[in-house]
Amino acid sequence: MIWKIAKKEFLLNLMTFKFAVGVIVCMVLMAVFMPVLVSDYQQHLKDYNENVTANEAELRKVKVYKNITPTVYRPPNVLSVFSKGVDDQIDNSEKIDIDQVSEIGMTISETNTLLSVFPALDVTLIFKIVVSILALLMAYDVISGEKEQGTLKLLLTGMLSRHQVLLGKLVAGWMTLLVPVTAAFLVGLLALLPSRMVSLTGAQWFYIVLMYFACLAFTVAMFNLGLLLSCLSKSSATSLVFGLFLWLFLTALLPNSSAYVASQFGSIDSPDEISGKLQAVTEASKSEIDELTKDIKKDGSETVSNALGAFGHTYSVLCNKSEMDYRRKVYTVTEPIEIKYGDKLLTVKEMHTNGLIRQKQLAETIAAVSPIALYENVMSILAGTDSEGFKRFRDNLRAYRNKVVDYIRSETENFTSTSYFTPSQEGDYERVIEEYYKPFLEAKDKEKNAELYKAAVARYEQILKETPSLGLQDFPKFTNRPPSITGTLREVIPKLGLLVVAGVLFFSLSYAAFLRYDVR
Amino acid sequence: MIGPIVRKEILENFLSLRFILSLILVVIVFAISGFVFVRKYEQQVQDYSKDTNQSLAYFQGHAERLYWIATLSHRFYRKPKALTLCAEGFEKSIPNCFSFNAFSRDYPEIKGRTNALLSGFNDVDWVFIISLFLSFAALVLAYNSCCGEKENGTLRLILAGSIPRHKVLLGKYLALMFMVGVPLLLGLLVNLIIATLSKDVAFARGEWVKFFSIIILSLLYLSVFVLLGMFISSRTSRSVSSMVILLFLWVGLVIVVPSSGRIVAKTLRKVPTQAEMNRRVTEMKEQWQKDLLAGKYGQNAGSTSPNPEECNPPARARAYTALTEQNNKMIDEHMNQIIDQVAIGRRFIRISPTAIYRQACETIAGTGIGRFSELRRQIIRYQADLKDYIRSRDAEDPNSLHLLYDEMFTAQMWRTISHHPVDFDSVPKFQERDLGIGESLRLAIWDIGVLALFNLVFFAGAFVSFLRYDVR
Repeated sequence: MIWKIAKKEFLLNLMTFKFAVGVIVCMVLMAVFMPVLVSDYQQHLKDYNENVTANEAELRKVKVYKNITPTVYRPPNVLSVFSKGVDDQIDNSEKIDIDQVSEIGMTISETNTLLSVFPALDVTLIFKIVVSILALLMAYDVISGEKEQGTLKLLLTGMLSRHQVLLGKLVAGWMTLLVPVTAAFLVGLLALLPSRMVSLTGAQWFYIVLMYFACLAFTVAMFNLGLLLSCLSKSSATSLVFGLFLWLFLTALLPNSSAYVASQFGSIDSPDEISGKLQAVTEASKSEIDELTKDIKKDGSETVSNALGAFGHTYSVLCNKSEMDYRRKVYTVTEPIEIKYGDKLLTVKEMHTNGLIRQKQLAETIAAVSPIALYENVMSILAGTDSEGFKRFRDNLRAYRNKVVDYIRSETENFTSTSYFTPSQEGDYERVIEEYYKPFLEAKDKEKNAELYKAAVARYEQILKETPSLGLQDFPKFTNRPPSITGTLREVIPKLGLLVVAGVLFFSLSYAAFLRYDVR
Repeated sequence: MIGPIVRKEILENFLSLRFILSLILVVIVFAISGFVFVRKYEQQVQDYSKDTNQSLAYFQGHAERLYWIATLSHRFYRKPKALTLCAEGFEKSIPNCFSFNAFSRDYPEIKGRTNALLSGFNDVDWVFIISLFLSFAALVLAYNSCCGEKENGTLRLILAGSIPRHKVLLGKYLALMFMVGVPLLLGLLVNLIIATLSKDVAFARGEWVKFFSIIILSLLYLSVFVLLGMFISSRTSRSVSSMVILLFLWVGLVIVVPSSGRIVAKTLRKVPTQAEMNRRVTEMKEQWQKDLLAGKYGQNAGSTSPNPEECNPPARARAYTALTEQNNKMIDEHMNQIIDQVAIGRRFIRISPTAIYRQACETIAGTGIGRFSELRRQIIRYQADLKDYIRSRDAEDPNSLHLLYDEMFTAQMWRTISHHPVDFDSVPKFQERDLGIGESLRLAIWDIGVLALFNLVFFAGAFVSFLRYDVR
């Protein structure tokens, strides 16, 4: 009997104006925006590839190990077209330096932060707004509308029990909403799959399937909420007005208020506190270095000649012997300390970043009262664009920094090799001085002087050209390991479960309300 | 004759659930917004005073010599504005710290307690409440203004009398505006009372005029939705159909179109990434170094020897001036591209009255992107003033080489800029200049005009549709 009611209701729903408008709007929005979102992803990927290539080109130019400061980029995620999450709000790159961390703060150019004046548009936005409204519109008059028309009492005067009527209507509503959700998803996938540079892994296909189920769970929860309001009110106008204002509250007010509440209670360090902590580490490092290097004396004058090398750093093209000996001694002592304190600086920065993530997660927890916010959260976890994904990237960065440090340490025999700071060999400097610089200084004639100057410059340029790069064929490569499927499931199942529980709760309340509903 | 219709409509709607819900929700949200603003503003003022005092103390502490003033980089922080109560303008995502000296400027940065991970959330300011909640309330109040009466059968009774249709329509419009205006004005009153009770919030007379202008603009904006509701209502014969169409239109105009700005901007205008800019800067510096070695700026331009025979200060000044100019040019061009990218998105979303209203409010309040661009312009002007000041003071020192360029080390060693002590009070200080109400309104006039046009179009649509409406 339930199936008969469901079938009748489903066929009636298919003929309604709201259903037709809802389906058309969903499909048109998907068809229009999905190609644009995909093109945005392709641009991100192109930028990422260019950056990685440029970084590798710089690595090939490196002439001394001290200049190695590669920048690491977070690869864009194809699933970000479904949910942007925090991807566009944060800087997805970090410079790896053994003794420094980049400053906390954000320059406008790292990521065009001005674009934050526009809310992010993704598949989740289309679903959370359009499909949720459609669900409410399909549900608001399921009971109260029948009561107004007087058909509800006719239905219940027969052999039908109330739970059969309610279940029939529920199944019909779900079946009706299945159509726009599935159609929109298919349109989205049809726009995504043939695109250039888009290839999905097995795990990503699995996440897309889960996203589809999350959309269904969300739609069901919103329909059940509408059903509950319909069972609680006597007129369909009342349930519609209540439903719409509740929807507005859940969509707009609650998530935005939660951000404010989170920023008040989930306190983060003020900029002064952070810079104080960073300064304390830097000063401790400086004093330790000063203490350990005070007895290292230079035997002779500093005679170096610097040139611009890889990653925008200068390096000493030529060094005299006393300078080489001095630097070898200094770096052997200072670099391990710099690395140790660089680690501490990174810890301060990570503590700050973790504070930001905690604040964001608190906002999400508060907003989880709303199925809309819960659904958004589930989608961003599945797309890998949630704050945990950002945290994973930071963790991978730290591991990579350690690998880079170990590599430089082993290649320079614990910073004792001159290759750490100069490509020149012992005696190179002295030979050049003897051959070119001395005659230039000693020449009295102006013309001769100019000629010798030119020759010295030409020789210097020749040295610059001839100095070989380090090669760095075996330099460690950064990989931003994606989360394991079990890890993602562990993260997503409680939230998806809550979404299902919300749907079940709304239905249970609807059932209780309908049992006591006055059908007259 | 309009009076009785207005009265009837008001009395009919006054005790309706939708009006009561709108009133309660809007007033509560306005009250929350007031409290949130006060707390946030107090914190911002405190942080701003601290940062600015530190920056000024640093500047003053290093301002003993003229060459220090010329070459030392100092920071300017954007001042918190009380008018962010109305239109915050996403200032939390807009850089608030500018570093510069007399010659160079850097990329502006976002400094402070901002959590970038929360930047996707909106601030609950007037513009947010009005553009979202009250526009929604306007539609919910107006969706059945014509078709609802037709369904009830009361429309033909009204029109059976001697009242012409246009008066009925006008009466309904005025009544609906009153119904929307009550929660708006009550909410604003509550909000302003809460804000003015705070000891840290003080509004200048000019700001009150801006508040008043924003209120008028808000009524103009809400009128668009009331007229849209009436238009759709007079095009449909069933209130459910009217509601469905209006809801999807509202989603499109208020949520989808404004959200599409980012993606449209990124698609239509490509901006080099920071990594790409870094590469260009490195290339530029490499080329500059080659030119330096090749003697493009003069012999020995690369030398920084204290021995006068081994160095060439005028050549070095030429080299460094060229480097600074190229660097400034690259940053300025990149910044202009970034701002242009946003401007393209903002222009595109102007097909939505919500986007127009938000942008007009930001312009009047003097917040948001417009303020940021204006601040950049003012800083560039200030740099020129500071340079003029340094030039004039430097000319008084006969021992100076009078070579103004951005290198402290050689300025100290060769005395390229005067080492004379400076009276800090005589040094020009940067102060942000606020746009007056006249200038703000002049900038917002196009937006206001387009909003008025939306009103006109929807009114004409509603009028024509209602004149031809089949009331049976």
